[in-house]
Amino acid sequence: MSLPCGNRGARVGGRFAVLLGVALSFAALGLQRGEAAVPALYTAAQARSGERVYEHHCASCHGKQEQGLVGPALRGPIFASVKANYTVRDIFLFLSVNMPAPAPGSLSPLQYVDVMSFLLRQNGFPAGTVRLTATTAGSSAVPLRYHGGAPAPAVRAPAGGGCGRQAVRSAAGAGPAPRHCPATPGGPMPRALR
Amino acid sequence: MTIIHVLPRSARVMLAASLLVASGSCGMALAAGYPQVTGARLAAAASDNGWLMFRRDYAGNSFAPFTQINAHNVQNLHEVWSYRSTLKQGYEATPIVNGRYLFITTPKDHLIALDAVTGKVLWKYVRPMQGVGFKTVCCDVVNRGVALYGDDVYMATLDNYVVALNATTGKVVWQRQLKPADVGYAMTLAPMVLKGMVIVGESGGEYGARDFIQALNAKTGALLWRRWSTPAPGHPGGNTWPKGMYAHGGGSAWITGTYDPTTDTLFWGVGNPAPWLAKLRPGLNLFTDSLLALHPRTGKIKWYYQYTPHDSWDYDGVNTPVITTLRYHGRQYRAIVHADRNGWFYAINRVNGKLIYARPFTRATSVAGFKNGLPYTNNALRPAMNKQVFTCPSFLGGKNWWPISVDPMTHMAYVPTIHTCMTMKGVPTFYHPGLPYLGESFEVVHDPADHHWGALQAINLDTGRAAWNHESDLPWDAGAMSTAGGVVFSGSARGHLYAFDARTGQVLWRSPQLSSGIIAPPSTYVVDGKQYVAILAGWGGGTPIWGGKMVPAVKQIPRGGHLYVFALR
Repeated sequence: MSLPCGNRGARVGGRFAVLLGVALSFAALGLQRGEAAVPALYTAAQARSGERVYEHHCASCHGKQEQGLVGPALRGPIFASVKANYTVRDIFLFLSVNMPAPAPGSLSPLQYVDVMSFLLRQNGFPAGTVRLTATTAGSSAVPLRYHGGAPAPAVRAPAGGGCGRQAVRSAAGAGPAPRHCPATPGGPMPRALR
Repeated sequence: MTIIHVLPRSARVMLAASLLVASGSCGMALAAGYPQVTGARLAAAASDNGWLMFRRDYAGNSFAPFTQINAHNVQNLHEVWSYRSTLKQGYEATPIVNGRYLFITTPKDHLIALDAVTGKVLWKYVRPMQGVGFKTVCCDVVNRGVALYGDDVYMATLDNYVVALNATTGKVVWQRQLKPADVGYAMTLAPMVLKGMVIVGESGGEYGARDFIQALNAKTGALLWRRWSTPAPGHPGGNTWPKGMYAHGGGSAWITGTYDPTTDTLFWGVGNPAPWLAKLRPGLNLFTDSLLALHPRTGKIKWYYQYTPHDSWDYDGVNTPVITTLRYHGRQYRAIVHADRNGWFYAINRVNGKLIYARPFTRATSVAGFKNGLPYTNNALRPAMNKQVFTCPSFLGGKNWWPISVDPMTHMAYVPTIHTCMTMKGVPTFYHPGLPYLGESFEVVHDPADHHWGALQAINLDTGRAAWNHESDLPWDAGAMSTAGGVVFSGSARGHLYAFDARTGQVLWRSPQLSSGIIAPPSTYVVDGKQYVAILAGWGGGTPIWGGKMVPAVKQIPRGGHLYVFALR
């Protein structure tokens, strides 16, 4: 569509500037409101305790920084996304009966609540003064979203001759662009373990 | 795009020509030294010098006719080259070989082409996974390898794409996504190419996916047919589900099927129903835990055989259905043999789907026996809310996905085995896309009568009984391969590639300890008259995640992927 010439364009531009200003104001307000709206569901002590439980029972599958390993990442905008639409209840009910995978349900109720607290902290939920309990976690409809705070897991270059800065090419057809690496030597073989 | 050609062009052409002669195929076009993979070559893959598909041939035998490496000289094997990947997850791919091109896949869907003789990397494709959370991948972020056709190589991915790449350049030819990532579906299997189609199956039985087998046009990626494994109301089997539950009923199809040209039948196994707790979904829950016999052109079901009715123990029926012949009680059969997760070794008439025999190959109590050719279960061993049971085998199975090999010379099946039982009880669950949908908690424990976690055993096809048994203190999580040289190859969790005497099970050779444990199947191939054996080491998969009491025993196994290739000195 082409815009007519003359003052119309200026008027449009002027309206756009006003709208932009209003939008920015709302955005700033919304951000403040969003930050203020993130509820404090646990205490800092619970998260610290949960971190120790996580290291011992969860990190071997989900990574020491919750970045994912053989199990999915438990922190960041992909895990705690609008698209996934998890609530605190969803995650707590699953983890408290089916985790840790080798021995589901083997932790104490207190340990499960602490791990949930730790995951909330790592996804940017603030600590507060009221303790999280199995009852409040198991009934919480609070959307689990990543609110920043703890840094998102670093995206690491693929190992084993990764592509480094190789250009990303367009995909044939729909879908993400494939990353293609040129030939790289396999490298020396490490000594076999004896 | 860069590809390193390891030979001058003249040599490549000569090599390709010699391979054509060696494989007995004529009139095939060449693409830059790459012997084209025709339908005729795939049909004759059993005798090819390469290793052209997942289980070597459409029958799924994983038996190679090569005799250069044999029971008399296998102790002279030594490593000729290796390739290291430092991704720390599990490596489950079979090395696929055509001419001098060898293809492997790694965790998170990297695809690497190497020179089969020197190990030099020719090209590498790294699947872009930005934005993928791997949330609905139950048992490690694995990939089980590729399929070949024409000048292309095919991979199925964790974000549900089928990707076709040019085999000599790694350039993407087409890609098609079958389902979004992270909402229940993922693909880990090696695709199958049959009659110009690429055929794959979806995983997701732990997440309430409604799974399916999908055929695509190999040249274009166009969708051809889809066989849902949980039928909707009004379709055959649709009345075996409570209202609406088929839509989240699982039935994953996560291991490559087989094909019988004599009956023109595609065989494909189907996994567990969802949620795991059977009391939430009364009915037989077809076609979960079943063998499907399909018309390959349409995906229509000819017949089915359900290994575990109304499963409550996660006994996926996906293990490779191997096409063979056997003689039972004086009668000759065209058969399927299959070592099921539920602990029973099945022989099924592949013409009509009738049971020939079934025998337990490990302790099996959940499926208690057979009546009129159909299995029945011990209902006392069905878990319920607040009811814990103890039953065998564990949900990891008497055998998990690790493929068997069937040797037509010894008439034996070589079966990776684990000896486990489990406690299991019902717990609350709910369906939410992208979350597990189980309804049970569990713990894997020892079989009280056998404190070896694993074994590789040989089963006589004509009786279903064990012919020999190699016990292992650690689980035996790797696929098997047999050869006309009288040798069975398979790898251990400790990281040794073993060569067994195919008839007796005697250990003829054991490799030096490799850099990690083995959970992949080996393959073998011949280039320029020299036979090679290839195996990926790289511990991972389901055992270290879900293995219960097994986990401490395998916790110290080093991680990291490493392809090793052996030949005679």
